[in-house]
Amino acid sequence: MPLLADNDAAVLRQHLQPITASVDLLLFTQAFGGSESGPIAKQVLDEIASLNDKVHVVEKNFVLDTDDRTRYGVEHAPCIVILRNGEDTRMRFLGAPMGYEFVPLVESVLLAGTGDVDLTQASIDTLARMTAPTAIKVFSTPN
Amino acid sequence: MKMAFSNPHITATAVEAQEFMDLSRRYRVTGVPKTIINDTVEILGGLPEDDFVAQAFPDLTPTA
Repeated sequence: MPLLADNDAAVLRQHLQPITASVDLLLFTQAFGGSESGPIAKQVLDEIASLNDKVHVVEKNFVLDTDDRTRYGVEHAPCIVILRNGEDTRMRFLGAPMGYEFVPLVESVLLAGTGDVDLTQASIDTLARMTAPTAIKVFSTPN
Repeated sequence: MKMAFSNPHITATAVEAQEFMDLSRRYRVTGVPKTIINDTVEILGGLPEDDFVAQAFPDLTPTA
């Protein structure tokens, strides 16, 4: 049974239409002994990808794909890593992106696919002074 | 997420707090949204963009 109702899928398809770049959604899951949310995350990503030809889901094995885990710094599963034209966007999602996480995921896919960042010029100027690696974690709950 | 996309030094991770209880305990998450920057700066709740940038990156923000 799909997670998205037909009318929601239609709205989302329209929303994702401006995408011009290839977007890969790398999904790291652990089949044995892993979280039950892995299959849910897969279904969420599959439904998003079904709405735009430029969006693709690439499954990665959290245990076996150690090179990719190292490359993208993946320490937990399920984890979604978003690529734009094969390049890391440094946007990650831990856990199944349901509830309040769903909209940020969709907006991140759109951002990766369009490259349109709507930060203020002041923010862009401030961030331009950054020279060190910076990790931002945002905790939220599905409801 | 926008900040990570626009700056190669930033990695942004959205964490589902209920599923990753070990991380929630480590970062003392008692309410959401809670933002942690470099394991040191903590911001509880949502903020307007300019306020967020000022609190998250005080060393980069010009003082008036």
